[in-house]
Amino acid sequence: MSSSEAAHSAHNPYLAHHFDTMEQQDHAARLGMWLFLATEVLLFGALFLGYTVYRWMYPQTYQECANLLSIPMGATNTVVLITSSFTAAWAYHSIKVNQIKKGLALLAITILFACAFLVIKYFEYKHKFDVGELPGKWYSYEGLQAPGANLFFAVYFLATGLHGLHVVIGMTVLSIIGYRTIKGRYHSGNYVGVELGVLYWHLVDLVWIFLFPLLYLI
Amino acid sequence: MTNLSTKAQESHHEDHGIGRYVAVFAVLLVLTGVTVWTGEMNFGNWNIIIAMAIAIVKASLVVLFFMHLWDEGPVNRLIFVVSVIFVGVLILFTFGDLMFRIPGLLPNFIQADDVPKVMHAPHGGH
Amino acid sequence: MAHSNANVAVAVPDGEEPKLPAVSFWNADYGIKSWLLTLDHKRIAIMYMVLTLSGFLLGGILAMALRIEHLTPDETIMGANTYNRVFTLHGVSMIFLFMIPAIPAIFGNFFLPLMLGAKDVAFPRLNLLSLYVYVAGAILLVWSMAAGGVDAGWTFYAPYSLSTPAELAPALFGVFVIGFSSILTGLNFIVTIHTMRPIGMTWMRMPLFVWATYATSIIQVLATPVIGMTAVLTAVERLFGFGFFDPTRGGDPVLFQHLFWFYSHPAVYIMVLPAMGVISEAVSVFSRKNVFGYNMIAYSSLGIAFVGFFAWGHHMFVTGQSKFDAGAFAIISMLVGVFTAIKVFNWIGTMYRGSIQITTPFIYVCGFLFFIVFGGMTGVAISSVSLDVHWHDTYFVVAHFHFIMVGATIMGFLAGLHYWFPKMFGRMYHEGWGFTSAAMIILGFNASFIPQFLLGNMGQPRRYYMYTPDAWALNVASTAGSSLLAFGFIMVAIYLGYAIFNGRVAGDNPWGASGLEWKTTSPPPKHNFDETPVIDEDPYTYRKKGEEVEHVII
Repeated sequence: MSSSEAAHSAHNPYLAHHFDTMEQQDHAARLGMWLFLATEVLLFGALFLGYTVYRWMYPQTYQECANLLSIPMGATNTVVLITSSFTAAWAYHSIKVNQIKKGLALLAITILFACAFLVIKYFEYKHKFDVGELPGKWYSYEGLQAPGANLFFAVYFLATGLHGLHVVIGMTVLSIIGYRTIKGRYHSGNYVGVELGVLYWHLVDLVWIFLFPLLYLI
Repeated sequence: MTNLSTKAQESHHEDHGIGRYVAVFAVLLVLTGVTVWTGEMNFGNWNIIIAMAIAIVKASLVVLFFMHLWDEGPVNRLIFVVSVIFVGVLILFTFGDLMFRIPGLLPNFIQADDVPKVMHAPHGGH
Repeated sequence: MAHSNANVAVAVPDGEEPKLPAVSFWNADYGIKSWLLTLDHKRIAIMYMVLTLSGFLLGGILAMALRIEHLTPDETIMGANTYNRVFTLHGVSMIFLFMIPAIPAIFGNFFLPLMLGAKDVAFPRLNLLSLYVYVAGAILLVWSMAAGGVDAGWTFYAPYSLSTPAELAPALFGVFVIGFSSILTGLNFIVTIHTMRPIGMTWMRMPLFVWATYATSIIQVLATPVIGMTAVLTAVERLFGFGFFDPTRGGDPVLFQHLFWFYSHPAVYIMVLPAMGVISEAVSVFSRKNVFGYNMIAYSSLGIAFVGFFAWGHHMFVTGQSKFDAGAFAIISMLVGVFTAIKVFNWIGTMYRGSIQITTPFIYVCGFLFFIVFGGMTGVAISSVSLDVHWHDTYFVVAHFHFIMVGATIMGFLAGLHYWFPKMFGRMYHEGWGFTSAAMIILGFNASFIPQFLLGNMGQPRRYYMYTPDAWALNVASTAGSSLLAFGFIMVAIYLGYAIFNGRVAGDNPWGASGLEWKTTSPPPKHNFDETPVIDEDPYTYRKKGEEVEHVII
C-alpha cells in the first residue's frame, strides 16, 4: 500500500479506524457474513436432522401428514419468497449502480412480499390450530390418529416457526437498510451493508426452498 | 474515495447487470412449478429423490447467483460448503445409529399403551 | 520490525529500573463508561477475565461442597436433591461460564490482535456485544440457580430433563445465549485472522497460539448452533410439550444425545485447544528454542478440530446406539489421540537440548504435559467400547475428563496467565509464590483425581450423593487433594492480586520472548502499535537454523 493511498483511504468516512483500506474492511464484512450464514445453516441443520429421523421412523404417517398441508398455499408462498429474493437482489443491484429511488422501491416491494408470506402463513397456522393439527401433546386432529403425527407437526411448527422468525428479522434488516439508504448512507460508493442484509434475506429463501418440498410435497 | 471503492468493486464483484438475476428468477419459478407437478405424481421412493434434487438445484442457483457465491473468493465458498457438509455429517452418523440400532430400541416400536403417560421421577434420590 | 520507540523490544540493561509507560490502555480513558462501552479488545479481555473468573470461583465453591459431601459415605452436608443441584451447577458454571470462554475470550481477545500486529479485532462492536450476550446468558444461568436450581446434570439428558420438576427453561436459554456469545467470539477471531494480518504476517508466520485459536473458532462457529437448537428444543419441549425427545409421544431421547454431543464433544476441544496454543508459546520461550515442528503443531490443531466432529458417539456407547456407530466412533475417537500425541512429541522436541528456564509458567507447562498424556491415554482406553461399558458413568469418566478439562486446560490457563501477566498488567508476580502454588495445584490435582480413577474402576457411579463404605478411604483422599488444590488457587489469587498493584515493574519484555506482543510496551497502549508493524521474520526467533543453544550445565 503506497502512502498516498493510505492517506486517501484515511479520509473515507466509511472506513473504520482499525482497517487500512476499504477493500480490507469489505472483505472482513463479507467473510463475517458468510460465517454467520454457516451458523444459520447448522442451526437449521439440527432441525432437518429431527425431520429426517422421524420421517425415517414414521414414513407412512409423514406421507399422510404432508397431505394435510395445503400445497396451493405452500406453493404460493414459495413463489412469493422467490420473487422477494429476486426483488431484493434487484434492489441491491440498483443501489450499487446508484439508482437509489428504484432501489428503495424494490426494497419496499420485498418487504411487502415478506408481509404477504407471513399473512399466508398465518392462515395456514390458523387452520391448523382450528382443527388441532398441533405438535406433541396438543395434537387432537380426529382425521389422522397415528403414532408420529404429533412429531410431524412438532417439526412443522418448529421449522416454519423458526423460519418465520427469520422472515421477521429479515424484514427488520431490510427496513434498516431502507432507512439508511434514505439517509444517504448507501450508494454506489458504499453498498456492502446492503449486500450483507440482502444475503440474509436470500438465506430465508434458501431455507424455504428445502422446507417446502420436505413438508408439503413428500 | 470513488477511485478506491471502484477498485474494490472490480477486485471483488464485477457487475453482471440485472439480466442474470432475471434468468435465475425465471428458472426458479419454472423449477417450483416442476416440483409441485412431480410432487403430485407418485413415484414411490423416487418422490423424495426428485424433490430433493430439484431443491438442491434451486438452492444452488440462489446461493451461486443471488448470493454471489459464484464470484466470491475461495474462503467464503469453503465456509458455506463446509457448513453444508457438517450438516451432512450430523445426519449421516445419526443414521449410522438409527439404521443399525436393534429395532426394539427405536421409539416407533413402542406402543403408546406400553408406557405410562407421565414419567415423573420421584423427588429425592433413588 | 520498524519501531521508533527506543525502549521497545530490548531487554532493559542492568541497573536501570524499567518504568511503566505513562499512558497505556489502562489509563487512556477514565470512568466506568470508558470500560463498559469500550471497543478496545484489551479492555474487553480484562472484563471477560473478571467475569469468567467469577464463574470459576462459583464453580470452585460448588466443587468443594461436592467433595465435602463425599467425606462420609452417607449424607454429610447435603441430601440427594441438593447434591443433584450442586453437581449440575458445578458443571454448568465451570463449562459454560468459565472453561469455554476463558482462554479464547481473555487471552484470545487480548493477544490475538497483538500477536498478529493488528490494531484491533475485525469487529470491535461485535466483540463488545459478545461480552454482553455472555453476561445475559450468565444472568439466566445464575437466575436458574437462584430459582431453585437445576438437577438434570450439565448434559440435560432427555427424558429426565423433560420430566424433572426443577425449573430448567432459564438454564437452557442461558446455554443458548452463552452459545451465541461464543459464536460471535469465534466468528470475530476467524475474520480477524483472515483479514487483519499486516503485510508480512503470512499464515506460516502466525504464532501457534493464533493457530490454536483459529481451530477453536472454527469449532465454535460450526458446532455451537447445534447446541443452541438442542437447548431451545428441550426448553420448548418442557414449556409446550412438543414431544420431540419424549419416548411416550414417539420421540427419540437418543436423538437428544446425538444433537447434544455433536456440539459438546467438539466443545471439549474448544476448551483444550487454546490451552495447547498457550503451551506452544510458553514451551518455546522457556526452552529458548524455536518450536520444533511448527507446521505439525499448526496442522494438528486443525486436525483435532476436524476429527473432533466425528467422535461424538463415544459418549453414547451404552444408550443403545447401534454397534456400527459405536465401532465407527470408537476408532475415530482414537484418532484424536494421534493428533494430540503429535503435539506432545513436538513440545518435548522443543524442550530437547533447549536452555530451559524454570519459571512458574514452565512448571505449568510440565503439569500440562503430564495431564494431557495421562488424561489422553485414559481417553483412548475409554473410547474402546468394551472398556467404556465397564467405566461408563463411573468416577473413572469423571477423573478422565477432569484430567483433560481441568488438568490440561487449567494448566494452560495458568501458564498463560503467568506468562502474559507482565504484559497485561506491566508488573511481575513473585516467582517463589508462583512455584509454591504451582506445586500445590499440581499435587493437589493429582491427589484429587487419581483416587477417582481407582474409585471408578471399583464401580462407584458418578452423580450419587452417597457411596458404599469400602470406597471411603479413597474418597477422603480425593477430598484432601481437592482442598490442597483449592488452597493453591487461593494463593494464586492472592499473590497475583498483590502483584497487580505492588509487583515489580516488569519492563516490556521480561522473558526475552520473540512474539510481536512483546514488542510493544507493557501494558500496551490503546492502539497496540504506533504504526502497523511490518513482519519479516518467523514468530520464534530464539535461534537461527543450525545454531546451537547456549547450554547451562548444572
